[in-house]
Amino acid sequence: MKIKSLIVLTLCMAMLCLAGCSMKAPEKVSTDDSPLKVIASFYPMADFADKIGGDNIAVQCLVSLGMEAHDWEPTTADIALLEEADLFIINGAGMEPWATDLLQTLSNKNLVVVNTSEGLDLLENDESHDGHDHGDQDPHVWLNPLYAKQQMSMIMEALKELDATNSKTYQDNYEKWANKCEELDQNYRETLSPLNHKDILVSHQAFGYLCNAYGLNQIAIEGLSPEGEPNPARMAEIIDFMNKHQTKVIFYEENTSSKVAEAIARDTGAKTMVLNPLESLSQEQLDAGEDYFSIMTANLKGLQEALSD
Amino acid sequence: MTLMSLFQYDFMRRAFIVAIALGIVVPCIGVIVVLKRLSMIGDALAHTSLAGVAGGLLVNINPVLGAGITCIGAAFTIEWIRKKLPQYAEMSTAIVLSAGVGLAGVLSGFIQNATSFNAFLFGSIVAISNAELIAVVAIALLVLILFFLMYQELFYIALDERSATLSGVPINTVNFIFTLLTAVTVAIAARTVGALIVSSMMVLPVACSLQIAKSYRQTVWFSVLFGLSFTLIGLTISFYAALRPGGAIVLTGVCCLLLVFNLKKMVCR
Repeated sequence: MKIKSLIVLTLCMAMLCLAGCSMKAPEKVSTDDSPLKVIASFYPMADFADKIGGDNIAVQCLVSLGMEAHDWEPTTADIALLEEADLFIINGAGMEPWATDLLQTLSNKNLVVVNTSEGLDLLENDESHDGHDHGDQDPHVWLNPLYAKQQMSMIMEALKELDATNSKTYQDNYEKWANKCEELDQNYRETLSPLNHKDILVSHQAFGYLCNAYGLNQIAIEGLSPEGEPNPARMAEIIDFMNKHQTKVIFYEENTSSKVAEAIARDTGAKTMVLNPLESLSQEQLDAGEDYFSIMTANLKGLQEALSD
Repeated sequence: MTLMSLFQYDFMRRAFIVAIALGIVVPCIGVIVVLKRLSMIGDALAHTSLAGVAGGLLVNINPVLGAGITCIGAAFTIEWIRKKLPQYAEMSTAIVLSAGVGLAGVLSGFIQNATSFNAFLFGSIVAISNAELIAVVAIALLVLILFFLMYQELFYIALDERSATLSGVPINTVNFIFTLLTAVTVAIAARTVGALIVSSMMVLPVACSLQIAKSYRQTVWFSVLFGLSFTLIGLTISFYAALRPGGAIVLTGVCCLLLVFNLKKMVCR
C-alpha cells in the first residue's frame, strides 16, 4: 500500500512540475510600455543596438567591460538574462561559439536571435592565431565600416519586426548612423590610399576585413600574447621583415602590453601603438564617451602615422 | 642563418648576457640548496612570488617589488619550517609551495584586469627590458661576491649544521644571508626568464656535477661549468631550431645529465 501511494504522490508532483513549466512561458503581452529587452553578445553589437534602438530598448552586453571577448563563457546569470530577453544580437561567423549550445538549452520561446554577419562576404581564417581558434571564418567583420552598416541594418530590421509602433524611429536612427559609417569609410579611403606603405604589424590578427577594404596587408606576430614564450627564430624573422620594409610601428591590442613587442621594438627602433579591435571597451573608455566611431577614428590616426613616410 | 646572425639582434645579445649571469649564479646557490636537501626551493619560491605579483597589483605597489617581498617571506618560512622538522627538510618547500599557489589563486580572483596580471606572470629570456637586464647583472654580481666570501662557511652549513656550530661558524648569520640571496635571485630571475629556467638551473647542473666531482670545490666549479653550458647551448639551439628558449635550456640540461650517467657507467667498467 505504502509503495502505491508513494508512486501516486510522485506522479502528482511530476504533473505539477510539468504544469508549472508550461505555465512559465505565457503569451507575450506586446502592449506594455516597458522597453524591449535586448541582449548583445559583445561590445560592438551592444553599441550598434543602442544607436539604432535609442530609448525604446534596454541593451545589455554579455561580455562585460574589459573582458577578453574570445575567451568568454556564459555564466548562469547570463543564461537567466537571456530567458527574460526579447532580442539577442550576435555577430556570428564564429565569434560566439558558445551561442549555439546555449540557445538550445533556453526555454524562452519568444527570443528572437539576429546573426548580424548573415549575408556578408566572409573571409577565410588564415591561421588559428595566438591560441584561440575561431573556426573557419574570420569573425572580425565590424572593423570594416560598410560591414558595420550592414550589421546595423540587420539590427534595425529585427527591431522593426518586434516593435512595429516605433519602426519610424528605428529607420531614422539607422539612416543617421549608416551615413556615419559611409563617412568613416570615406575617411579611411581618403587617408590610407595615398600612403606608400601597406603592411601593418599586429599582435592580434583581427584586421582582415579592414585591410581587405583599404588595400592593406596585416602581418600577425604570433606568440605576442603575454601568456606564452616566443621563439627567438620567429622574433628574428619579424625583425628582419620590419627592417626590410621599414615598418615603424608594432600595433598591439588595448590592455595587452607585451614584453616581446617591446623587445622587438627596441631591436628595430619601432614604436608600439594601440590598434583597438573593438572587442570590448574598458569602463574608463565608456565614461570618456568612446564608441565605435571614436575608436575607429583613433585607429585611423594610428594607421596613418604608421604607414606614412 | 650564419653563426654571426645569432648576435646580430639586440634581444639575443641581451639574452646571452642574462644566460651567462644566471648560468653562473644560479648553480652556485643550487649547490648549497641541493646539499641542504631543499632542491625544490626554486620552484616553491617562484610560485609563491606569484602571490606577491597579485598582491602588488591589488594594493597598487610595483608587482615585482611585491614578488620580491613575498619571496623573502617565503624563503624565511621555509627555513623556519625546516628547523622545526629537520628530518623532513624537503617538506618545508612543499608546504610553502602549496600555500603560495593557494594564496596566488585567491588573490588573482580579485584582480579586475586579467591581462595586466598575465603580463607579470611570465617572463622570457628573449624579451628582457633595460631594468631587468640591470637587475639581473647586479644581483648576479652581489651573489657571486657574497658566495665566495662565505665559501667555507656555506660548505660547513650545507653538510652538517651541528658540527658547523661546533667549529665556530656563525650559522644563523650565514643562513640568514644565504636565504635572502636565494629569495632575491629567484624573485628577479623568475620574473625575468620564467620559473622554469630558475628552478631547473638550481638542480640540473649540480646533479651532473655530483656525478663526476671529487670534492666540494670541484662540485662548485663543475656546477658553474655545466650551468653555463646549458644556458648557452640551449639558447643557441632555440634560436636555430625555432624552439622556446626556456624549454630548450632545461632539456639541454636533462640530456646532458643522461649523457653523464651513461659515460660514468662506461668509464667505471
